[in-house]
Amino acid sequence: METLGFLIDGFGVALAPHNLMFALLGAFLGTLIGALPGLGPANGVAILIPLAFSLGLAPETALIMLTAVYAGAMYGGRISSILLNIPGDEPAMMTCLDGYPMAQQGKAAEALAISAIASFIGSLVATVGLILLAPVLARFALTFGPAEYFALFLLAFATLGGITGKNPVKTVVAACLGLMVATVGIDSTGVQRYTFGTLELYEGIDFIIAIVGLFAISELLFFIEERAGGGKAKMVVNKLKLSWADIRNILPSSLRGGVLGFIAGVLPGAGASLGSFIGYTLEKKAVGKKGYFGEGDPRGVAGPEAGNNGASSGALVPMLTLGVPGSGTTAVLLALLISLNITPGPLMFTQNADIVWGVIAALLIGNFLLLILNIPLVGIFVKLLSVPPMFLLPCVTMIAFVGIYSISNTTFDLYFMVAFGVAGYVLRKLDIPLVPIILGLLLGPEMEKNLSHAMGISDGDWSILWGSGLAIGLWVFAGLGLILPYIVGPILRRRMKVTTAAAAGNPEGD
Amino acid sequence: MAFNDRIFGILLIVLAVAYGWGASQFPEPFGGSESIGPDTFPTLLAVVLGLSSLYLIVRPDPDNAWPWSRTGIELIVAVIVLVLYAMLLEPLGFIISTTLAVGTLCWRMGAAPLRAYLVGAVAGVVVFLLFSFALDLALPLGLLSFLEVS
Repeated sequence: METLGFLIDGFGVALAPHNLMFALLGAFLGTLIGALPGLGPANGVAILIPLAFSLGLAPETALIMLTAVYAGAMYGGRISSILLNIPGDEPAMMTCLDGYPMAQQGKAAEALAISAIASFIGSLVATVGLILLAPVLARFALTFGPAEYFALFLLAFATLGGITGKNPVKTVVAACLGLMVATVGIDSTGVQRYTFGTLELYEGIDFIIAIVGLFAISELLFFIEERAGGGKAKMVVNKLKLSWADIRNILPSSLRGGVLGFIAGVLPGAGASLGSFIGYTLEKKAVGKKGYFGEGDPRGVAGPEAGNNGASSGALVPMLTLGVPGSGTTAVLLALLISLNITPGPLMFTQNADIVWGVIAALLIGNFLLLILNIPLVGIFVKLLSVPPMFLLPCVTMIAFVGIYSISNTTFDLYFMVAFGVAGYVLRKLDIPLVPIILGLLLGPEMEKNLSHAMGISDGDWSILWGSGLAIGLWVFAGLGLILPYIVGPILRRRMKVTTAAAAGNPEGD
Repeated sequence: MAFNDRIFGILLIVLAVAYGWGASQFPEPFGGSESIGPDTFPTLLAVVLGLSSLYLIVRPDPDNAWPWSRTGIELIVAVIVLVLYAMLLEPLGFIISTTLAVGTLCWRMGAAPLRAYLVGAVAGVVVFLLFSFALDLALPLGLLSFLEVS
């Protein structure tokens, strides 16, 4: 019951008035980020990190705010799925299937409310799972030596593409590029590496600059290319008529979706998109003939929406306990932890217990805040949806400039950010995923340190890297993570596409 | 056709070789060489990158189209605007440079010019005021420094 004690302490942290205020602000901003076109969760959190720094927030406050943003973004993605049949983010794709038909039948408000409740239940289930699982996993992870960590990092890279990923070799290329950028600077033995004598490079390349550039600037360039500057049609939401029976009707679906999503989130390589997909298909099977899925069944909104939010809380488990994120947005949260000088990993649960449990408690509180925000305030978010990207994206870019500039007050960083943005655009054109690059930037130093520790222990014998049963297991899973996409990937991807295309008639999903 | 991946693969191999060669040029760390030096990890990376780029050349994915025509020019314009924004942020000050940069971007993305620069100006002033007074962070005033309240 020591967990409960920690959790109560955590509530003490999270309920402090200023933390609560920032959680509310984060939840609001997060929903906005999720709802707005062209501002994915990873992108949004990345832009806010430098601002959290320059505000000089305490570590736990910064982390609480950005966790709330993260949770909020998952709520926000559903709004445009339901109203416009355009997913605000990738995992919200499945919500389109029954959400949009509901909106067409004049039940948009009900669909929004149901999805908010389902999101809430999904997150709640997964947060409870997180509370139960994380300390156990952290204790287990304490037995890891440097060799196991090295293998674990490889596993993280290998599974990052997910089993639905397209070309695992491109994930490897991306990871290498990220790790290479991470080696720039003066290393632990005092040797300059790839600095070319430039003073600004001695300290290495700040990954925050790289992240903001890769995400925010490349997004702007993509919008310009697609000429998607125009706004979307104004949406009208009907008056909400939701009875208790409607809510009771979706409860089982939400619970099932939440549990499945949580599992998909914890497992490496699955992720929120798969979570919501499994949530939807299983719901369809479980309800069977009585359902009218694809034609506006509320349970078809609740299942995937709970799954998607469950997965996003589940994805925090490996990030908090092992220091290994499983998704783009958790990678960005990891960036925040590292820049706050908190070493992620199992020791965090003992050394920074107040922060970890504060964040977990904030996740619970944030959920309540989000539910409260999302039901009455949905009208505001709907209005903001019609802000045309041609005004929105330049302003977002400006915020990115301000944030990066305020870290060190030099324009050198801004050039770097633009360069990373252009690189990000080119890489995305080549289908090279950006998240492994970021993970490489973040984990590079740790990975090298663990490699040299392991070598130090074995006195230069490379076989220590696969010397224990645990390490071998991790290597095997890493290998599977790279091979499986070739085998199951095409099948799964086709199935996801067929489901979406058949029901929505609109295959241009992500 | 599948030129993109092939060309990219060749560039990556060049990068891998250059990076690996760079690693071999590192000076020995003080205190003699150990089993693992500053060059071990980079060398490993160079090998992995080299091998995977070979794969890209042998089995490339189908191409995404590049925006050659007018859209390509718009993209170059956008990048130039961003570079100029970074360059002029300090000399012109935040408000003026933001008006110009955000305004130009909005305009190029399809907004009417007047509205575009108006949005830029409003955004610049609002963010400047927010940062200076509410958040207590100094952004450069540049040409407008005569407005400074001391």
